[in-house]
Amino acid sequence: MYDIKKIRNFSIIAHIDHGKSTLADRLLEFTHAVSEREVVDQMLDSMELERERGITIKARAVRFDYKADDGEIYTFNLIDTPGHVDFGYEVSRSLKACEGALLVVDATQGIQAQTLANAYLAVDNDLEIVPVINKIDLASADVEMTKREIEDIIGIPAEDAPCISAKLGTNIKDVLEKVVKDIPCPKGDPSAPLKALIFDSFYDAYKGVIVYIRVFDGTIAVGDKIRMMNSCAEYEVVEVGTLSAFHLNPCAALRAGEVGYFTASIKNIQETEVGDTVTHVDRPTEKPMPGFKKAIPMVFAGIYPADGARYEDLKDALEKLRLNDASLVFEPETSAALGFGFRCGFLGLLHMEVIEERLEREFDLDLITTAPSVIYELKLVNGSVVRIDNPSNYPKPEEIETAFEPIVKASIITPAEYVGSIMELCQDRRGTFKDMKYIDANRTELHYELPLNEIIYDFFDALKSRSKGYASLDYEIIGYKPSKLVKLDILLNGDIVDALSFIVHADKAYPRARRIVEKLKDNIPRQLFEIPVQAAIGGKIIARETVKALRKDVLAKCYGGDITRKKKLLEKQKEGKKRMRTFGTVQVPPEAFMAVLKLDDES
Amino acid sequence: MPDELSIYVHIPFCARKCNYCAFYSLPGCGEQIKRDYADALIRQINAFQTDKTVRTVYFGGGTPPVLGAQRLLSVFETIKNNFLLSADCEITVEVNPGSVKPDELTLLREAGFNRLSVGMQSAVDSELKILGRQYTRAHFQTIMESAQSAGFENRSVDVMFGIPGQTKESLQESLRFALGLGAAHISIYNLTIEEGTPFFRQKDVLGLPDEETESEMYDLICETMQKAGFHHYEISNFALSGFESKHNLHYWACGRYAGFGAAAHSYYNGKRFSNVSDVEKYIALAGDDYYAPTDYEKQPFLTEDDQKEEYILLGLRTSKGIKADKTLLDKCKKYVEHGYAQVRNGYLSLTDKGYRISNYIISELI
Repeated sequence: MYDIKKIRNFSIIAHIDHGKSTLADRLLEFTHAVSEREVVDQMLDSMELERERGITIKARAVRFDYKADDGEIYTFNLIDTPGHVDFGYEVSRSLKACEGALLVVDATQGIQAQTLANAYLAVDNDLEIVPVINKIDLASADVEMTKREIEDIIGIPAEDAPCISAKLGTNIKDVLEKVVKDIPCPKGDPSAPLKALIFDSFYDAYKGVIVYIRVFDGTIAVGDKIRMMNSCAEYEVVEVGTLSAFHLNPCAALRAGEVGYFTASIKNIQETEVGDTVTHVDRPTEKPMPGFKKAIPMVFAGIYPADGARYEDLKDALEKLRLNDASLVFEPETSAALGFGFRCGFLGLLHMEVIEERLEREFDLDLITTAPSVIYELKLVNGSVVRIDNPSNYPKPEEIETAFEPIVKASIITPAEYVGSIMELCQDRRGTFKDMKYIDANRTELHYELPLNEIIYDFFDALKSRSKGYASLDYEIIGYKPSKLVKLDILLNGDIVDALSFIVHADKAYPRARRIVEKLKDNIPRQLFEIPVQAAIGGKIIARETVKALRKDVLAKCYGGDITRKKKLLEKQKEGKKRMRTFGTVQVPPEAFMAVLKLDDES
Repeated sequence: MPDELSIYVHIPFCARKCNYCAFYSLPGCGEQIKRDYADALIRQINAFQTDKTVRTVYFGGGTPPVLGAQRLLSVFETIKNNFLLSADCEITVEVNPGSVKPDELTLLREAGFNRLSVGMQSAVDSELKILGRQYTRAHFQTIMESAQSAGFENRSVDVMFGIPGQTKESLQESLRFALGLGAAHISIYNLTIEEGTPFFRQKDVLGLPDEETESEMYDLICETMQKAGFHHYEISNFALSGFESKHNLHYWACGRYAGFGAAAHSYYNGKRFSNVSDVEKYIALAGDDYYAPTDYEKQPFLTEDDQKEEYILLGLRTSKGIKADKTLLDKCKKYVEHGYAQVRNGYLSLTDKGYRISNYIISELI
């Protein structure tokens, strides 16, 4: 039954909200890979958070059969990809596992930043791109315009592109036929030495790590001795199989061109990194798959339990998340202000938010997170070079000869009317304008070089609010540049709160200091004494606000002996107090820390 | 104290609802429902069996006389018939100067009520108008004088602060006026804007005093009352010696009390509970079983921890305070050092400065 010519491996790529997951659902429904009853809205996105945000975070794959108009039965492997810039590397590995990609474009919005970024990735990986025009049911859909854009901007023919409504299930069959006709079958030799690419993995409490692979050459079977060529870990295969929407389907072997999984009682997900190549110990392939990179965390922040007593719970939770997320790194950290917690590294800001939300939601933890930081490189006067991801370790100004900060190349696509406002934003964030392209009469692509530390705060939110949600962003790190950096400290009642310190460009220090002390003033409840809230660089105070002393906090009349109500109010107040952190004599609620992280773009 | 019992009777009727009132009360009800309500009260009181001595009785509202003086007296008769009232029993009735008639005061006094709580709120006509109170300063004076003639020596006056447009001067004038008319007890209330009241909808345009001013008003009240020889015996109550409200103190001493009437609260038989707040439901449920209109079944028994917590949160409302052990004193060191609390005869109590932020302090101690 194995016939490499009848296999089609493909991904769906799209900008957020252009309908990738909905199309995936329809394909599975149409081919009866799942019954309608089983469709719980976008089954490929199985994480709750993904469903709420409408984004896909981890890749998943599904195998299903399709009986085409030519009478033959084809085996499709649909490999889903994460849809956000933080996960660019994971996207590229998922694409690597395919021969083609469906490029879904929303006919009401046309091409967006991530459409382009993903299309380029697909081109880089030599994939056959099949454009699919979605949302034709909407009144504002402009099919001809969208086709023209695809041809002009991406440079692929779009005349025959299927025009569909994934939501209503219109013309889904056209897409399946296109896959059969336009996407090439895999090449490969099932009797050659084994060469399989890991494109995802996750931890299962019973089977250990379940490794998702695409076999390029050779055959992998139960009992084989295998090696991960980069991590050098060696195991004996316990199970191999293919993937359906809801189950793992064990089988005897996976051969060249096939997509599936294997297990080998692997306990540590770090040994099965995305992009690594699996081969046989006895008869290894000569060269691993090209392009392996270690996932490198770019954004760092301290994460602390709001209730210090839950440190161990936080540790367990992070360890559990790491089982499924090789790109999450963390190590214990102590803060004078917040006690015991962890310094965590993330691929980007979205990744950080995802981890935070999962900790809070799945593990019921209340967290305090410090301001995110990037990795700075400092050349010291003594000639050494240090890399700093934690403001607490920032050397004294006189010890630093030159400071360097990471720079990204950012591509922003926006309707023309918002260009001015967005350029202003980029300018304000210390961006260097590179160039500007007119995609069409309405849309413009801007290229900027921006310091990473300017986009990890609230850049994305600011971009969205300035463009009424229309602008899209894609970025990649291009290197380090010298920069005038300072460490800003926040003092409460005269004492530095280490968890609130952060590194900032000297020119931005004053306005940011002002906003932070104002936010803190608004979020720290009045206490017995007046509390000065100050911001300082070195020993010099650059901003100050005061939380006035509490004057009055007394309950109204006790009505007809209704003591229960009064008791409840006081107990609530007590709960609120318990959550606060005490610094010297000052009590600070977790909200104050959050408020500092969410500085508005305005002011 | 646990062997003594207080009785609270709730009359949820008013002549008119005030602009700030969020309590359960029914303005403008017909005679039929008042008659049925009085009958229901009598049924619930008769259904309550106890051998405890009753030391205080309190008729609150609403405005109790709006029930009708004769009905009020029948309810009171039922209480006298059904319970053993101590010789020095404090029997209070709340009245609204806008609706009570001088001859009603005489009837109430003759029936045995010995303490009158008059809801003055303010002695400044413009403030009364804003609050929606249906009387003037002059009329209040008439009521106070009639009460005195009727034989009510123990007259308490409610004074409100934080009224829209109120100043420290006008507040002082209200206090002075009440004292001049022989009030032996003053209850102060800070106006709070509650959701669902006319004030809530207008709160941004009312011209409410700011927090700082209200705080100064509280200070002013404490000062004025002290000068007048009143004892600040509870967070919001001042009295001449011997005129402290026994009923209120009973609440703060974690005493047991039985509540009758819609929405009345009770602390009895191990639980805190309340009657259904809807008048018609109350009328329907009140019968042979005292507990029928209550949520007694649904409420939990108070644990030892609950009782300890209540001892603190209620006890710290009074000038007597709570027994201070070592742990408590350690916790309160900063409050004592900075004049928010004091220790006398082994009891910890709040000072005027401490009363002002009592929530802040108590929520830390419970």
